Amino acid sequence: MHCLGIESTAHTFGAGVVTEKGEILSDVRDVYVSAPGTGIHPREAAEHHSEVAAQIITSALNQAGITASNLAGVAVALGPGLGPCLRVGATVARSLAAYFDIPLVPVNHAIGHIEIGTLTTGAKDPLVVLVSGGHTAIAAFSGRRWRIFGETEDITLGNLYDMFAREINLPSPAGPEIERLTQKAREFISLPYVVKGNDVSYSGLLTASLSKLKSGARLEDVCYSMQEVSCSMLAEAVERSLAYTGKKEILLTGGVAANKSLQSKLEEVAKMHDAVCHVVKSPFTGDNGAQIAWTGMLALRAGLVTSVDEARVRPRWRLEDVDIPWRAG
Amino acid sequence: MQPLLIYKGAEAEIYLETWQGESAIKKKRIPKPYRLKELDESIRRTRTSHEATMMHEVRRLGVPVPCLQHIDPDSSTIIMDYVNGPTLKVELNTLSAPGRRGRCKTLGEMLGQMHEGGIVHGDMTISNVLSEDGKLFMIDFGLGDFSREVEDKGVDLLLLNRAMKSTHYTIHAELFKAFLKGYARSVGRKTGIETLEKMKEIERRGRYFERG
Repeated sequence: MHCLGIESTAHTFGAGVVTEKGEILSDVRDVYVSAPGTGIHPREAAEHHSEVAAQIITSALNQAGITASNLAGVAVALGPGLGPCLRVGATVARSLAAYFDIPLVPVNHAIGHIEIGTLTTGAKDPLVVLVSGGHTAIAAFSGRRWRIFGETEDITLGNLYDMFAREINLPSPAGPEIERLTQKAREFISLPYVVKGNDVSYSGLLTASLSKLKSGARLEDVCYSMQEVSCSMLAEAVERSLAYTGKKEILLTGGVAANKSLQSKLEEVAKMHDAVCHVVKSPFTGDNGAQIAWTGMLALRAGLVTSVDEARVRPRWRLEDVDIPWRAG
Repeated sequence: MQPLLIYKGAEAEIYLETWQGESAIKKKRIPKPYRLKELDESIRRTRTSHEATMMHEVRRLGVPVPCLQHIDPDSSTIIMDYVNGPTLKVELNTLSAPGRRGRCKTLGEMLGQMHEGGIVHGDMTISNVLSEDGKLFMIDFGLGDFSREVEDKGVDLLLLNRAMKSTHYTIHAELFKAFLKGYARSVGRKTGIETLEKMKEIERRGRYFERG
């Protein structure tokens, strides 16, 4: 039994095939890279996705050694994300489902990040820390849903890095480049540290970092201090949520999960509370089709399919609004 | 009596000890290895002295708060009276429906009194309220602030609403409604509605929020 997954929520167009046992047979993707100094342009990203879609899906099926007509289901990330980008994936998925008469499975992109995280790390009942361009959220599972315990009150951690990068003419996603620059830092610059309960707020940190840069601080020092403060803030919010929920596992997942500073801070948090910190395995930090395929497989087995007519994109689909019948707790 | 560690929170360790012959609580903010030393020390020192100020001011407004006994910013330690009872988060599970509505209404009145007096809590959850023989005490003011901004008041409501939603999701609507009733009693209906609307606006600001 095989499920194809299609991802097109933001800059990545990806396709992957998994089995019902959770074997990842293929994971093919292509990332739209914005011009330096600009963010993702939704229409241009969507054009990129349309151009590469056929080739990516064909490679994903070929690598898995399967033909479309033999699929048990085709899963697609219908949200949250950028409307024009989402519509490319949705259109392709609807066409495949209709033409080959295969069940169509709607998947929430955020749930995809979580499910690939538990699949690749073996985490059982974790406090999830989902960090990406679109999310900075802390969640735990209970009563068929992921419940949000903390999140950003304005921009996400990924946004913070990307918006900062845009000002200094770096392409997005910019996290890895900023992390590289921190290696050459000489001193820590004091920047606003804002934690509200289990929530964080990054907009003031962005403004202050840019203003330090304009008033002559070294770029490397600003990158280092901004990364230190932003990751410490999130670590504190995670620690508060961990104490509040009493969970014994942390699962760090999503694109920014690749950040080494964030990883080591969350490992420290876990250690202090006799918990274990799992980090989603590379290369599944970034957006990919395999995580949509795997979440689709879980949903398919629980009977969650949709009709081609009803598979509409949901650009603002919240993580906590998704009913999860396949997970205990 | 030797200090006895009775609770290890996210920020601080809570010890039960004797202070001038009486049972007292020692709250010690512990160093965080995940923060740079200079950042960590400055955060702990600031929050400790800030919390003491807030406890004093909130008490002046007539909201029950454990009585402050001693403060030492150098060791980031506060000593206060011992409140012998569970958190509201725990107590809610043991109460009848009218009982828990009553508690939430009282909490609403308390937070309303603080807001009317120009103070926001900053970490308003049902874990930061203690219940001793049915009397509620507000605790944990490290993130509190002097503010009359509707935005800051809205954040208090948002944090409380989320805390109720995440742990008591089956009865959350009932709890929050009772809270709002008490809150409106303290701040007045107009301000109550205005703050609630602000809370919803902050919620919508989160990136993903489906309308309708």
